[in-house]
Amino acid sequence: MFITQKHLPRRTFLRGAAGVAIGLPLLESMIPALKAAATKPQLRTAFIYTPHGVILDKWVPKEVGAAYEITPILKPIENFRDRFTIFSNLRENSGRQAGSGHASSSATWLSGDITKDTAGEDVRAGTTIDQMIAKKIGQDTPIPSLELGIEDVSNMIGVCDGTSSCAYLNTMSWSTPTTPLPAEINPRIIFERMFGDGSSAAARFARLQDDRSLLDSVTRAASKLQKEVSAADRTRMNDYLENLREIERRIAQVEKHNQQAVGAVPDSPVGIPENYEDHVGLMFDLQAVAFQADITRVSTFMMSRELNSRTYPQIGVPDQHHSVSHHQYDPVQQEKHQKINTYHVKLFGKFLEKLQNTKDGEGSLLDHSMILYGSGMGDGNVHSHDPISVLLAGGVAGQHTGGRHLKIATGGKTTPIANLLLNLLEFSGIPADSIGDSTGKISL
Amino acid sequence: MRALAVLIFASAVFAQAPQYGELVNKYCVSCHSEKLKTAGLVLEKQDPAQATANARVWEKVIRKVRTGSMPPQGMPHPDAAALNAFATYLETSLDQAAEAKLNPGRTLIHRLNRTEYANAIKDVLALDVDVSSLLPPDDSADGFDNIAQVLTISPALLERYLSASAKVSALAVGDASIGPIANTYRPRPDLSQDKHVDGLPIGTVGGMVIKHNFPLDGEYSFEPKMSRSILGIVHGLEDPHALEVTIDGQRVRLAHFGGLDEDTKSHIEATKIANEIDARFAFRIPVKAGPHTIGVAFLQPSVAQTAEVWQQYQRTAIDSNETKGAPHLDKVNITGPFEAKGPGDTPSRRRIFSCRPATGADALPCARKILGELAKRAYRRPVNDNDMEDLLAFYQRGRNNKGTFDQGIEMALRRLLSGPEFVFRLENDPANVAANTAYRISDLELASRLSFFLWSTVPDDTLYNTATQGKLKDAAMDEQVRRMLSDSRSDALVENFAAQWLQLRNLRGVVPDPDVFPDFDDNLRQSMIRETELLFQNMMRQDRPVGELLTADYTFLDERMAKHYGIPNITGSRFRKVMLPADSRRGLLGQASILTLTSVAIRTSPVARGKWVLTNLIGTPPPPPPPNVPALKEAKGGARASMRDRMTEHRANPFCANCHKIMDPIGFSLENFDAVGRWRVKDGEAKIDAADTLFDGSKVDGAAGMRDFLSAKKEVFVQTFTEKLMTYALGRAIDYYDMPAVRKIVRDAAKNDYKFSSVVTGIIHSTPFQMRLKAAPANESASLLGAPVAASAR
Repeated sequence: MFITQKHLPRRTFLRGAAGVAIGLPLLESMIPALKAAATKPQLRTAFIYTPHGVILDKWVPKEVGAAYEITPILKPIENFRDRFTIFSNLRENSGRQAGSGHASSSATWLSGDITKDTAGEDVRAGTTIDQMIAKKIGQDTPIPSLELGIEDVSNMIGVCDGTSSCAYLNTMSWSTPTTPLPAEINPRIIFERMFGDGSSAAARFARLQDDRSLLDSVTRAASKLQKEVSAADRTRMNDYLENLREIERRIAQVEKHNQQAVGAVPDSPVGIPENYEDHVGLMFDLQAVAFQADITRVSTFMMSRELNSRTYPQIGVPDQHHSVSHHQYDPVQQEKHQKINTYHVKLFGKFLEKLQNTKDGEGSLLDHSMILYGSGMGDGNVHSHDPISVLLAGGVAGQHTGGRHLKIATGGKTTPIANLLLNLLEFSGIPADSIGDSTGKISL
Repeated sequence: MRALAVLIFASAVFAQAPQYGELVNKYCVSCHSEKLKTAGLVLEKQDPAQATANARVWEKVIRKVRTGSMPPQGMPHPDAAALNAFATYLETSLDQAAEAKLNPGRTLIHRLNRTEYANAIKDVLALDVDVSSLLPPDDSADGFDNIAQVLTISPALLERYLSASAKVSALAVGDASIGPIANTYRPRPDLSQDKHVDGLPIGTVGGMVIKHNFPLDGEYSFEPKMSRSILGIVHGLEDPHALEVTIDGQRVRLAHFGGLDEDTKSHIEATKIANEIDARFAFRIPVKAGPHTIGVAFLQPSVAQTAEVWQQYQRTAIDSNETKGAPHLDKVNITGPFEAKGPGDTPSRRRIFSCRPATGADALPCARKILGELAKRAYRRPVNDNDMEDLLAFYQRGRNNKGTFDQGIEMALRRLLSGPEFVFRLENDPANVAANTAYRISDLELASRLSFFLWSTVPDDTLYNTATQGKLKDAAMDEQVRRMLSDSRSDALVENFAAQWLQLRNLRGVVPDPDVFPDFDDNLRQSMIRETELLFQNMMRQDRPVGELLTADYTFLDERMAKHYGIPNITGSRFRKVMLPADSRRGLLGQASILTLTSVAIRTSPVARGKWVLTNLIGTPPPPPPPNVPALKEAKGGARASMRDRMTEHRANPFCANCHKIMDPIGFSLENFDAVGRWRVKDGEAKIDAADTLFDGSKVDGAAGMRDFLSAKKEVFVQTFTEKLMTYALGRAIDYYDMPAVRKIVRDAAKNDYKFSSVVTGIIHSTPFQMRLKAAPANESASLLGAPVAASAR
């Protein structure tokens, strides 16, 4: 049995229970007065993941450079051709790693590292670049980073993929090599994190006040306990206290933010939408709103999780995505996989459109965004991590122009995606010589 | 007398120590040399006479020798008696050393996991909560989701604790400001709805049972909705049907749909008709606050109806384009309260409000009484002045903000539920014990360990009082354990321990390919899980030998499972004990649940089955596959090759063969069961060959042979079971220094025929469960606790 719960604001009921609006409005009036004065645009960063690989020859253009012909899978975002670059001939480090192929695909996409093949408590992957970026710029915003997903993973216990822990599949964001950050799937909860709990502004304000004083009290109790517990447990109590302070900081930021906001915060989403397209759309909207209102500048989003068995009847693919990705090179199955690839790109296109249409200082949010889209697998049929292809979209605050297909060959071989991650770190103002299996930045 | 016997025995084995050095040099060191380091293990220059100096290494040796997996087949072997004496020698010396210097290990501070959090709320506040909507899922390790090490804390988790505390407190006291909430309940889409569902009225089929907590007295709307085809046509319209809604068994709604007229119209205006039908079911009625059971089901159609004709398979929802056949309930929305009339009389309010202030002056003493009682249970210890001060401060805050006594209590509950006193299981080292020394934990700490082990929740009053009276030891402790095991709360061991040990929880995510297994549906999945749960529960409640899990000549079946196994004359949705006619079906290895979760979507996986047996029954998990292994080539064109032929690659390549010659033969012995656990004699065109040679040279043929092999190694199975149960009981990985305790439990249990209770009691009496190692001051502690045996043995 599945249970989903939605809290409905009373007003919704005055409108009639059936007519619950799903999309979030743009927050033209919400931008804090302070930010309007800012002169230098802030970089927003999003990492969007699609699982099980893509049909590469329908994704990677035949021609390199600017005069390439758009491929069937990328067709839905052809309008944004000038805003993205396709990188092909990359490889993911996880190809060298033991275990089955899905666990590492998403877990190391942003670290160029490998996952330790274990189902035990000793999970280990690399720190991901979204978290490196969040660590640098996240403290300026109420929420350092958002980790978003679609599938409920609460049924998944222990071993998910071969001999690998489910922890590897449940998120693509690692704040340290041993700390996976769980992806949140419920838009309502994300909204509450962004704006506070409660269905009206007054209720949210009261709740924030209560939360603050609860945190004070809990922090006092925890500090006292920390002195009592033994040295071995103190590390964990330290973590706990550190996290409590982080929440306090966030609550203070949210309060400040809500006070500065000119005009009203929109009604919160009612819960997890029943259909996939609405759910994905809402997750993209939340990221756009969070970027726009400068609530966070970093997000990761798995449009679907590796090894999921979602079906796509709405686009004529009633089969499970994972099965279809093991197409055995049967043209019928390949076409189904391609349809799902294309569908994901189409939904991603709506996000680009939203960012394009949202003013941010002198330009648009898209101008000031750095968005990586793709999969950690190439040919899903054989769990191949070599070659893979991704695309980089957005103006990256003046550091990137699109319109090209770059085939990155290194001595006739493929190039680690970690090299591209180095470029992205550099764009974010984080100088790094190496990450994962990188061999040096890509010259753009 | 006994001590003397041990001494004599010990000196006898010690006298032979030198020859074991020779044995190791002769049979082990050729691979486990400093040069080859096979499996990362070096035995060269290791002296078995000094085993205690390197217990970590020698525990690995014992494990491999005891299971018969070392020395490997095809290599020179000492005779069985010599190997046995060698293992006994090692065990005896390690056990004696452990006795001389106790090392109970340490579990880190334990955060309540989701299950424990929900159970604790039920026990403290008499409130059922849907915890999956309140807290994020926990990570698991070593096969369980209650491992302290990975129950980490993140900002996102703490935020959810804060917000959960608000939601739970409001529900518990019945906060008048609770607005309408929409809850959606859905059966799984692959649930077949043409059969009676347990818990629904007799004479109905399909639908679902919903246990819903109504927060306030007030009106609630109910909206059952029918499943529709991709074209929007309601399934099953060609025949008339009736849908019934009951609350606590009383019918509150009956509505009809379907039949020729509606069927015809729906092919013209599908959505309009479907909306009309859904509207016919929707209604709004007053409901009293508190938990109620809602039943939504179809009245059983007469046999003559056409649904049967269209149904080729057990699974009715096989094709979402097909509109004929049985109707399906897609979901039920329950929304409310509207026009709330107050908090009503709920179990949680009765539990919380043990007093009511008559006058303003009564309020504070009454709040003190209420919060004192709740906090004692929630914190699992006596409440001190600091605790009370904190809680009363929030009581005052609630009163000041919102006015009423109830809202003061509600606010204090938020503090109680979000604080570290509730969400952590804290154990404190006493000051008067030296660092790195073992000490017995306090009675109250022991009471918590017991209740979280056996019940996955906080201690009840009886256990708590036994502990505070200082009686939680010896016979009185055993009495408590017996009482707790016979209490229904010990079903937590089935749901949380057994379901994770045997990986039953993973079955929820298993979806056999519907083209190959068109009969597989959620009903079958649920029944499979239930069958295995009942086998375990029976073993527990009847206190049977744990080995019976492997050999039982009985099982528990409902009609669906019986059909699946080809056993006649079992009808209805009720599970009952059934004697098994077929020898091969006996025990866990013959259960469809295990056989299905170790298969892939379209076929069996002998590798996965072998791995499952090695990991969960023998305690020697195989190492992970090496990198860059291409997927197994599915048979090309024409007749499908037999599974065995396809797996020959595994043995042809010596690199693969090392592990696969251990895993695959176990799996092949179970090949007579297909990927959903049905009996078969052929796989495609190929006749099944279930005979093979196992890792220790034993020859087995078929599931019965495999079962006999395992039950002949009863100590190995019981030891594995004990390790798993102990991992779960302690909330940490079992390490090499725990092995003497594990062996003692197994030895003692042997005297009681390895009955379930003897293993549980053994764990509870064991050093790791009763004691704790005082931590060293900062920096030293890390080196004391090494990597777990199981992990390093891989």
